[in-house]
Amino acid sequence: MKTLLIGEYREGKLLESTCELLGFANQLGAETAMLLVGSENQLPVYSGTLYLADVAACGEYNPGLHKKLILEAVQKESPDYIVFLHSSYGWDLAPRVAASLRIAQVSEIVAIVDGGFEVGCCNGKMRRTVKPATAQAVLTIQAGAFPVLQPGGSPEIRKLSATDGGALEFIGYEAAEKKDVDLAKAEVIVSAGRGVGKKDNIPVIAALAKALGGEMGASRPVVDAEWVSHSHQVGTTGQTVSPKLYVACGISGAIQHLAGMKKSDFIIAINKDKDAPIGEIADVLVVADVMQFVPALTARVAR
Amino acid sequence: MKLLVCIKQVPDLESRFKPDAAGVWYNETDLAFRMNEYDEYAVEQAVQLREKLGEGTELTVLSIGPDRVVEALKKALAMGCDNAAHIQDPAASGKDPWQIASIIAAYAKDKGFDVIFTGMQSQDRGSAQVGVTIAEQLGLACTTTIVSFDYDNGTITAKRELEGGIKGVVKLKTPALVTCQLGLNVPRYPTLPNIMKAKKKEITAIPVVELLREEALATTASFHPPAKKGGGIVLEGDVSDLVDKVIAILKDKTAVLR
Amino acid sequence: MEATREIYWNIGHGVVIPMYILAFAAFGVMVWGFRQRLPIWRQGKALDRFDRYDERVKRMLAEVFSQAKIYRVTDGGVFHSIFFWSFLVLFAGTMLVMFQADFFTPLLQINLLSGEFYKAFSLTLDLAGILALVMLAGFFIRRFVIQPKGLEIVKDDYIILQLLFAILITGFLIEGARMAATELQQNPGLARFSPGGLLAGQLFTTLTPGTLLVTHKILWWFHLALVLGFFCAIPYTKLRHIFTTSANAFLAPLEPKGTIATINLEDESVEQFGAATISDLTWKDIFDADACTSCKRCQDRCPASTTDKPLSPMKIIKQIGELAEGDPTGSLIETISQDALWSCTTCRACQDVCPANIEHVNKIIEMRRNLTLMEGAFPGDEVRTAVSNIEVNGNPFGLAYAARGDWADGLQISVMEQDSDVDILYFVGCYASFDKRNQAIARNFIKICNAAGVKVGILGKEEKCCGEPVRKLGNEYLYQMTATENIELIKAYNVKQIVTTCPHCFNTLSRDYKDLGMDIPVEHYSTYINTLLNSDRLKLTSEPFSYTYHDSCYLGRYMDIIEQPRSILTQAGGSITEMEKNGYDSFCCSAGGGRIIAEEKLGSKISEVRIKMAVETGAPLLVSNCPFCLTMFEDGIKTGGAEGQLQVRDLAEIVAERIAV
Repeated sequence: MKTLLIGEYREGKLLESTCELLGFANQLGAETAMLLVGSENQLPVYSGTLYLADVAACGEYNPGLHKKLILEAVQKESPDYIVFLHSSYGWDLAPRVAASLRIAQVSEIVAIVDGGFEVGCCNGKMRRTVKPATAQAVLTIQAGAFPVLQPGGSPEIRKLSATDGGALEFIGYEAAEKKDVDLAKAEVIVSAGRGVGKKDNIPVIAALAKALGGEMGASRPVVDAEWVSHSHQVGTTGQTVSPKLYVACGISGAIQHLAGMKKSDFIIAINKDKDAPIGEIADVLVVADVMQFVPALTARVAR
Repeated sequence: MKLLVCIKQVPDLESRFKPDAAGVWYNETDLAFRMNEYDEYAVEQAVQLREKLGEGTELTVLSIGPDRVVEALKKALAMGCDNAAHIQDPAASGKDPWQIASIIAAYAKDKGFDVIFTGMQSQDRGSAQVGVTIAEQLGLACTTTIVSFDYDNGTITAKRELEGGIKGVVKLKTPALVTCQLGLNVPRYPTLPNIMKAKKKEITAIPVVELLREEALATTASFHPPAKKGGGIVLEGDVSDLVDKVIAILKDKTAVLR
Repeated sequence: MEATREIYWNIGHGVVIPMYILAFAAFGVMVWGFRQRLPIWRQGKALDRFDRYDERVKRMLAEVFSQAKIYRVTDGGVFHSIFFWSFLVLFAGTMLVMFQADFFTPLLQINLLSGEFYKAFSLTLDLAGILALVMLAGFFIRRFVIQPKGLEIVKDDYIILQLLFAILITGFLIEGARMAATELQQNPGLARFSPGGLLAGQLFTTLTPGTLLVTHKILWWFHLALVLGFFCAIPYTKLRHIFTTSANAFLAPLEPKGTIATINLEDESVEQFGAATISDLTWKDIFDADACTSCKRCQDRCPASTTDKPLSPMKIIKQIGELAEGDPTGSLIETISQDALWSCTTCRACQDVCPANIEHVNKIIEMRRNLTLMEGAFPGDEVRTAVSNIEVNGNPFGLAYAARGDWADGLQISVMEQDSDVDILYFVGCYASFDKRNQAIARNFIKICNAAGVKVGILGKEEKCCGEPVRKLGNEYLYQMTATENIELIKAYNVKQIVTTCPHCFNTLSRDYKDLGMDIPVEHYSTYINTLLNSDRLKLTSEPFSYTYHDSCYLGRYMDIIEQPRSILTQAGGSITEMEKNGYDSFCCSAGGGRIIAEEKLGSKISEVRIKMAVETGAPLLVSNCPFCLTMFEDGIKTGGAEGQLQVRDLAEIVAERIAV
């Protein structure tokens, strides 16, 4: 089996997520070749074939041109799978390659399973097992679903070039807006509820959020009491979030709050009340006093 | 100018999903359907462009599916689309993105649309393929995941949403297709006079057989809930024991401590 | 010597004709003044408020002469009522004098104003005049010395109070002057029956008879001029309320309270929904501005006004009046502001207390209709989401509609789809269906029904939001969509009786659904349980507890259900400490008018204010009868710092705990 992995390069940097493609190919047990529109100064640490096109000439976002480069590499390599990350680069480019080759595309793979690939659907609530009906297929893999692999070595470079008179012109990047807090994009959210007790205890929750590399959220009563600003509010009247980990500290689980966070991948709730409604959707309910448990957990995580 | 916006009707995601008899998609019983959220932004953007261009511009909304999708089409008409095309296909959910894109491309091929809008992906299947594939099949310029759109004299200036909140600014010459990300605009709530007017707008029904030329390139083997996370554990006891247990769970079940 | 007096003494009967000419001229000015208002009122849409004539006249007479709506609020109200009655007596007395002098004496040669009747007449009028003066002094002190918060002082107030004062004083002075020249000398015994005049007469005792006669004549003409000036001033000053406010007691709606005009969505010729400009309102809406006396009672009781939100019901009425007069094509919504319109909880406190029968709430709803139906506007993004959730899933939370009946799992209850042979259909509502705290109401209500042997059915997943919140926010289209679906369903099951645990569902199903063709008896569980208790189908074991009770707006003010819940709680063993604002004066929880799905971003929190009132009673328990109130109070107790001091529970919870086995 052979894969052609399509690496990513943005704002002058090789993206680390490219190593997840290697992790995926490794799980698949496939031979790998890689294609990168990048620079010789930053090469992936792996020892296979690397089709390299110069980013200075081909641009970081020029899907028409990048497609041509990929098609050329496909012709040379005849891979079974052409693999992208399911990213703004990957989902933009992958269907163009698949369409040009008239082959199947399987999007946002979360696992390799018997009989095909498992993909998420219905906003992550359900899964589908999808099987390409064509000999070759384009795949995109979910970010973070496969381990980062850095096998070491240095690639064997084959240079590619192409020209494109396409109707698309990339103008440049625009920096992210600075926000007080952007819960929608946070992977970890630690939220404070009334069970925190008083405004002075808020830093305890913020400390756990920081230790876990996430943001602090809050339930509505906490925001209403002005312990934290409204931008932290999770729930139907605040932000609807779906982080990888949601830690609810002293939140009993009013319906408005639950509706805003129940799609989180993993939910840990800390509450004195064993029967608090949050227990119904939490993966783990820790029955404890928030002000005793949270500082202890923060200390352990920080270690 | 001619504009097209492609929409899908999807189940509300609060619904409980159960596999259908064949086990490859959801059973529609007890599901509430609505317009795919991404598509609402696409419709709004299309309507805004339609309003900007004024007279002489025609905006068509298209959807593939069983009779229930007419509801979604009506909403798009109430939001300001001029007419609708309903590609009647009771078995649309069984078609792969390639087939769906092919059907739309077959419909659009000789109609000379200047700009086509689609959602970035559907909320139920989430493949993010259909829009780009239509563009490829029709040979249109295309960009995806836009959070800003501007049109001036044959050129679209769009901002793509990239990871980490960065945006990529792109210019496209029409004819072109864009796929719309959440937050692109604020989809309007149809006003009552527009809901009334929409009732009189034309919805052209086209049987899917007239447009379907392609075989599926991928098949769904099964539709199922994710493997159980072993959720619902209740931990009680001494604080330091609890901390140990939670640390173990975080390492085991999540990626945050890796 | 017979007790009487000579009418037109010192003036002479020759004055009759010029006096009547002047009087008619003054009436002419008055009528002319009101006539000029006609085109302003007529800018509004047609509305029939002249039907059921007898009923209207009766109500008007009762309200005007009893003054009940006025003295309901003691502050200012009692003064006004006493002044009104006194002035009425003076007016009637003057009329009697007029009839006597110009009709009875010349035409019939009889004198009613003589003997004992004259004594009583004279005394009554004098006392009325004194009383009126005292009340007038009260008005002065209240408006210019105490200056209650929110009470404006305008030019009219100076004119009217001074005018009335001058009329009364000159009245006594004429009497005094006449008595100084006549009674005081000829019949001092009779003078005792004119105490005001007797007192005023002392001023004139030193005057020479000639000066006295001249003074009397001048005073008489001056008094006449003032009185005629009073009539002329009526249409042009706040005095107009004498007619407009009284007229409003005739014009006020006769429909059940809370009736909102149901828009005919089938009528395709209609292109304007709700009120954007003056011409979209009815003539009565414009007339209301003229009936307003600026008493600011509405503003004092408005939960939005009193929590520093940009809404004053009085100001809205005035703004409508100003637009109708000065800028009829101006935008109502820009003038009044969206924030003000969205702040209303439709609690009806303003309308209930208004002594002028002004209809505040429906005006606000009409303007909200314009915002919602014509502009697709929302008070906030959270409302946009909730509304779209109602569209898709039939509940504002966006939870799966199929889970609506899950709360009833394991309970002895019929789902209509499977078994529709039931005693009552329980219309559960969104909160009791989905919200964990409120599900306790539903479960306890079922427990009560089970104990009373009542077979209960629910619609389960077929039930949809009754449409109340969106209707009150102006979204008549969505309301009618969901309402129609509910109605068709309920009718198909051949339901005999509906019971709700939510006053909002109760109001909507029992009153609003009638307009859409559902006429099935609907009851709130408080009256239903009360009937079960009174008919001995349900028995309670009395367990003592002390509590305070919150009258939800839609049960108390809208539906007059005030005693029944208290009676149930008494039977359950409760002893009540009332909050100051209870019954018809109850203070909203903040969730009415669709505010339940909106965030309260402006001013302070209404629910916390109400919780504070409950805490002040010292009772440890607040009993409510509405899922919206319960939700707001649970919140208000947490954020208002009343945890540990006050607990809020629903009526059904209290009753279910005390069912006698």
